[in-house]
Amino acid sequence: MHRRTLLILALVLLLPLAAEAQKPIKVGMPMPLSGPPALFGDPASKGAQMYVEEINAKGGVLGRKLELLVRDSKADANEAVRQARELILKDNVEFLVGTLTSAEGPAVSVVAKENKIVFIAPIPKTDQLTAPDKLHPYIFRVASNTTIEGRSAAEIVAKWPVTRVATMSFDYAYGQDVTKAFVEHLKKVKPGVEIVDQQWPKLGEQDYNPFINAQMAKKPEAIFSSIWGGFFVTYSKQAKALGVFDAIKYHFIGVGEAATPETTKSMGADYPVGIWGNSYDAFYWGETAAHKDYVARLSKYLKDEYPSSWAIQGYIGMQFLAEAIKKANSTDSDKVAKALLNLTVETPVGPLTIREKDHQANRGQLYGKTVKDAKYPFAIMKPVTYVDPTKFMD
Amino acid sequence: MPDFSFIFAQSISGLTAAMFLFLIAAGLSLIFGVLRVLNFAHGTFYMLGAYAAFQFMQWLGPGRGRFWLAALGAAAAIALLGGLVERFLFRHLYGAEELYQLLFTYALVLVLGDAAKMLWGTQQKSVSAPPELGGKALSLFGATIPYYNLFIILLGPVIALGFWLTLQRTRAGRFIRAAALDRETLGALGVNVDALYTWVFVLASFLGGLGGALISPMRATTPGMDTEIIVEAFVVVVIGGLGSFWGTFFGALIYGQVLSFGILFFPRFSIFAVFALMAAVLILRPWGLLGRPLK
Amino acid sequence: MRAPWELALLAAALLVPALGSRFYTFLANDVLIWALFATSLNLLVGYTGLVSFGHAAYFGIGAYTTGLLMKKLSLPFLIAFPAAGVLAGGFALLFGFFCVRLTRIYFAMLTLAFAQIVWAICFKWNEVTGGEQGMPEIPYPSLDWMGRLPLVGGLRTSDHFYLVTVVLVALCLWVLRRVVGSPFGRMLTTIRENAERAEFIGVNVRRYELAAFVLAGAFAGLAGGLFGIFNRGVFPDFAYWTKSSEVLIMTLLGGMGTFYGPALGALALILLNQQIVSYTEYWPFVLGTILIVLLFVFPGGLAGAAGTALRRLRRAA
Repeated sequence: MHRRTLLILALVLLLPLAAEAQKPIKVGMPMPLSGPPALFGDPASKGAQMYVEEINAKGGVLGRKLELLVRDSKADANEAVRQARELILKDNVEFLVGTLTSAEGPAVSVVAKENKIVFIAPIPKTDQLTAPDKLHPYIFRVASNTTIEGRSAAEIVAKWPVTRVATMSFDYAYGQDVTKAFVEHLKKVKPGVEIVDQQWPKLGEQDYNPFINAQMAKKPEAIFSSIWGGFFVTYSKQAKALGVFDAIKYHFIGVGEAATPETTKSMGADYPVGIWGNSYDAFYWGETAAHKDYVARLSKYLKDEYPSSWAIQGYIGMQFLAEAIKKANSTDSDKVAKALLNLTVETPVGPLTIREKDHQANRGQLYGKTVKDAKYPFAIMKPVTYVDPTKFMD
Repeated sequence: MPDFSFIFAQSISGLTAAMFLFLIAAGLSLIFGVLRVLNFAHGTFYMLGAYAAFQFMQWLGPGRGRFWLAALGAAAAIALLGGLVERFLFRHLYGAEELYQLLFTYALVLVLGDAAKMLWGTQQKSVSAPPELGGKALSLFGATIPYYNLFIILLGPVIALGFWLTLQRTRAGRFIRAAALDRETLGALGVNVDALYTWVFVLASFLGGLGGALISPMRATTPGMDTEIIVEAFVVVVIGGLGSFWGTFFGALIYGQVLSFGILFFPRFSIFAVFALMAAVLILRPWGLLGRPLK
Repeated sequence: MRAPWELALLAAALLVPALGSRFYTFLANDVLIWALFATSLNLLVGYTGLVSFGHAAYFGIGAYTTGLLMKKLSLPFLIAFPAAGVLAGGFALLFGFFCVRLTRIYFAMLTLAFAQIVWAICFKWNEVTGGEQGMPEIPYPSLDWMGRLPLVGGLRTSDHFYLVTVVLVALCLWVLRRVVGSPFGRMLTTIRENAERAEFIGVNVRRYELAAFVLAGAFAGLAGGLFGIFNRGVFPDFAYWTKSSEVLIMTLLGGMGTFYGPALGALALILLNQQIVSYTEYWPFVLGTILIVLLFVFPGGLAGAAGTALRRLRRAA
């Protein structure tokens, strides 16, 4: 009699715990899924989804499956904030991994801070996200940042035989910060250079003709652009029609990932082959076995023989989260936040570490000059180099 | 002092933008002039025209002449859509309050805009310029003018002239002008005003769809382009004069140049300049450049 | 004499945090602010017959005012909140002065133009408004004193702010109710029905319309001030024309013929949105279809339909 009661009691006590273990770990992902930014945002969310499926197949994290809730943030800070809050309040997510633009990132960071939710930003680059006055225990970035990007580009332009340089960037945090970093560093490593023109179209501009004309009137010899995503497609089409690339002999560097396979693929023959650009990843990079394996898996997952280069950031974001949860052996926000500091993760692009100083990972990017390659129906970067960001991080 | 080739280049880009806007605004002005309704959905017809052109290009494949076929096909498809919307839905609201008619056109924006997302997804689409015109440019006064831009600049006035001649010289045109002035009397004279209204809608939608199709090689075909363009079309129509045809044409020209040179003189606030101009016109001369003075 | 059901609603609103769901409180907070925004617009649309396409301008001005004063100047909410109404009302006076000289579509276009000007400034004046990034991180008003109150002391800050919102919105709605019931309000209705006749009997129509415009703008500004804090951030699309169309739809959906119609519309739209987005991403499609159906079947909006249904029931009984 007693034994049975004790057995039942034990089962009753254990049952909720088992149910607790089965409950998935919900992760919210606000990401632009519509419009020109979706060119980058959509594959990023798919990369995260692929990682989640892979890890769940292996049993999940701490015995619990990961569940990714993706929401369209429309690349709008207001919408991203709204989605993030609903994810936290309605869907009860325990973590946030997401946002793309440098307007969304800082806005959602505030939400994360107030709700004490760990927020890993895989894409927004503005330095302001982790600046000392904006830093808080729950914000982390596995994206590169505008300081790294601007300086990396400056080093490349410094090697060109040009003295008159112009910039074309969107008038918001990302465009402003990366251009500033570029100009400052370029002037340092090549003092003779002159910034002859700077144009600031609004984010989302569809007609770049007036800006292009104004810029070319100043006769630049090289152009630094941070126009990104689907917007770069529109800008470069218009610029090409106006003869910009010929006029500057293709001394053009497009940060904001102008040389990603997505972009070159979607533009096909319209792409201005010969410009320099960067990319977070490239399926043709193939330096390590780990990367080759990742690309093979991604190709299968996306059913695309030339898989996207943006999936990697979603993937890495989730990787860091999962590893941090494992290291903390808990899903408690404070413990996971602590575990993320100085955490090194073996990602498909190599080991990355989030440093304690500003919660920033040492994420560099691939840079290269685009050329036509007989193997592929679109341009690729060749040779393509991974620029180590360490020397650019203050 | 900026040199002449720059000023010329800037005015060319202003002209190009103006001609696209004219195509959309002309339809908007026509619907307002005759049906007395501000059609919010006109921007959506423009967007659907661009998507339809993309779709036709997918079906036809690249090659000589394909783009023109696709553009005309797209415009025709949107014209048909406009006609159906008017005939089966909008017609029943003519007796209702103006506000409800406006609300209907806005509801159309929501429905058709999402329909585009359902059919073509949320990623932006790209259309290549026709091979006959793409890739080549004219060098004039030191400025580079792509052939396609030139084509658009020449097409605008041609369509404007053709339109105007239709309105002035043909019987149908006279009926349209009469309907704009006095619908009842026209009906009493035995003209089938219902059918006339449908045809006006069809024509306006054709222009809007054509505008979208023709702009697709130059800009991105993407969700959200409808809400962006409709406000610009409103500005044009207000500046030129609601209901005035040539007013729309000149309004578009002015708008294009203000936007183009705005970035020179007030780079940060060129958007502001456009709306300030709209407000100024409404305050000082509400009927616009060439509209009919208000009572 | 307040109808008992209004007091019951107020009590129900105050009790929402007791449900224990942060999300319900979040939704209720949203509904209340939009209800105020929509009711303020109805002063123009329903009572005076002036259809404005640019009401979001005042909402945005209110939000940026409160946000700037509290965040950049660290002023207390007690100053920043009324300031939102004052500044928004001030701009409504400036813009309205020109708008009321026009009628119908021209009036609507000018309200749109002014709203887009406000938006363009908010969007591009990076130094002051934060530009495209907006101003994330608007501080909550200092609500520590609420922590010492009985019953509600133990609640979260967001719940405290919600209760403040309930009180403030109820107050604003009460004021607006008095306005529309007053001789001034009745004159507005007369103007809506026949402005010419009102002129004949010696009424300065323009002055009344301007007064309505300013009041509507001021209360929209107050709604904006609350929203900026609730939303934890102020962004330029608060003033964009699509925001104006959202609030106009709420007003029409709920029914512009009654005082509480727009508030009902706000509730219906927000709840409907929540329900629909859990099934499909094509919320605009669903909303547009509903609007079209309503237009053809229930031109009086939800409140109108409810009123008609009630009347039919009463007659049948």
